[in-house]
Amino acid sequence: MNQTPKNAFLRTAMLAALCLAEAGLSPAHHGFAVFDTSAQKIITGTVKEFQWTNPHTWVWLDVPNDKGGVDAWGFEGMSPNFLGRRGWTRKSLQPGDKITVTYFGLKDGSKGGAFLSFKRPNGEELSMWKGSPTEDN
Amino acid sequence: MHRNILRATLIVPLASIALVTGATAQSFKRPAPTPADWAAIAKLPDFTGVWEVQMGGGAPAARSIINPAVGVPSMRPTALSLTAEYDKKRQELMAHAEQDNQSANCLPPGMPGIMAQPYPMEFLFTPGQVTIVIEAYSMVRHIYADGRPLPSDPDPTFFGTSVGHWEGDTLVVKSVGFSTQTEIEPHVPHSDKMEILEKFRLLDPNTMSIETAVTDPEALKEPYVTSRILRRHRSWTIAEYVCEQNNRNYVDRNGKAGINLTPPAAAETLAPKQ
Repeated sequence: MNQTPKNAFLRTAMLAALCLAEAGLSPAHHGFAVFDTSAQKIITGTVKEFQWTNPHTWVWLDVPNDKGGVDAWGFEGMSPNFLGRRGWTRKSLQPGDKITVTYFGLKDGSKGGAFLSFKRPNGEELSMWKGSPTEDN
Repeated sequence: MHRNILRATLIVPLASIALVTGATAQSFKRPAPTPADWAAIAKLPDFTGVWEVQMGGGAPAARSIINPAVGVPSMRPTALSLTAEYDKKRQELMAHAEQDNQSANCLPPGMPGIMAQPYPMEFLFTPGQVTIVIEAYSMVRHIYADGRPLPSDPDPTFFGTSVGHWEGDTLVVKSVGFSTQTEIEPHVPHSDKMEILEKFRLLDPNTMSIETAVTDPEALKEPYVTSRILRRHRSWTIAEYVCEQNNRNYVDRNGKAGINLTPPAAAETLAPKQ
C-alpha cells in the first residue's frame, strides 16, 4: 500500500472511528450517512471563516473554479469542546489562510464534506483526530 | 375591577399547581444536611473532577480492567440479545430509510447513550445525592442516594429516575422510567419497562469503571451488559455545548439525513456572486 500522506490521514480517521466503536462510544452528534467515507479527497482554497461552534466547527473555504471566480465550500469538523482539548483553538484557522483540506465528500456531490485535517503551504499540518488528550491527573 | 382580575389570574394558576404537586409522587422529603452528612462525603471514594470515556487503544487505563491486581469486572459484558418482537422492530427501523437518528436534530440521546459520548462528565457529591454534569448536550443526571425508593409509576423521561447507594467502594445506581424515545443502542428500541443498573468505582486513583446492565422484559432476552473506562483530567472544566448554536445536520420525518451548506452570513456577503 502506498504510504502517502493521504492514506495516513484516511487511516487516522478510520482508526478514530474504530476506536469510538471499540469503546462502545456513540457518534457524538450524528452518523456519517451523508458522507462518502469510502475515499478521502483533497482541495485547496482560502479560509473565509472558521466557525468555532457547537455541535460542529465549520471551515468555509473559497475555492477557485474554472469560471475565474470562487465557490464557497463548507467542511464540518469536530466540536470546539473536543478539538480544544487536542491542540486546536478558535484561532487555528484565520480568514485569508491558504490551506489544503483533506475531507470525506458528500454523497450528493455538494460543495462540502467532513473535515479530517489541513496542511499549510509551509508544510504545517493539523488533524482533527490527534488521539488521546494529554494526561493531567 | 383591576384587583379582581389580578386575584383571579393568581388564584387559578396557584390552584392548578397545588393540584399537580399533590397528584405527583414526590413525597420524599430529604432532611436538611448536618455537619456529619457533609463530613461523611469526605470518606467516600473521590469521584470529583472531570472524566472522559477512553477511546480504546493501549493505554494503561484500558488494560487495568483485566488486571486482577487492580480489579476484575463484577458483571461480564454480554452481546445484545433482542427478543423476536424487538428484533423485528429494529429491522423495521433500519428498513425505513433510517440513515441517522434524532440526535442529528439536536435531540439528546438520553439513557443509556448519553453516558457513551466522546465528551467528558463531572461528578458532584452533596449529602444524599450524586450529580453528573454531562458536557454532551449540556445535560445533568441526578442520582438520589438518600434512601428514597424508586417511583412505582414514574413519568417516562430521557434519563429516567435514579437512586443510588454504596456497596463498599462501588456506587450502585438503579434507574427506571424511560421514554421510548431513547434507544439501547442506535436504532435499538426498548419498551417502557427498561431498567438500568450501573456500577461506578475507581480502579486506581484516576481511572473509573462504569459497568451498565440494561434489562427489559419485553425487548431483551437477557441483560445487556457493557463496560467503559474513564480517565480523570484535573485541569479540565466542563464546557458548554449548545447543540442549536450552529447545527447544520438534520434528519427529516422519514429518517433521511441531510446537511445545510448555506454559508454563514459573513462568508456569504464576502463571497462573489456567481
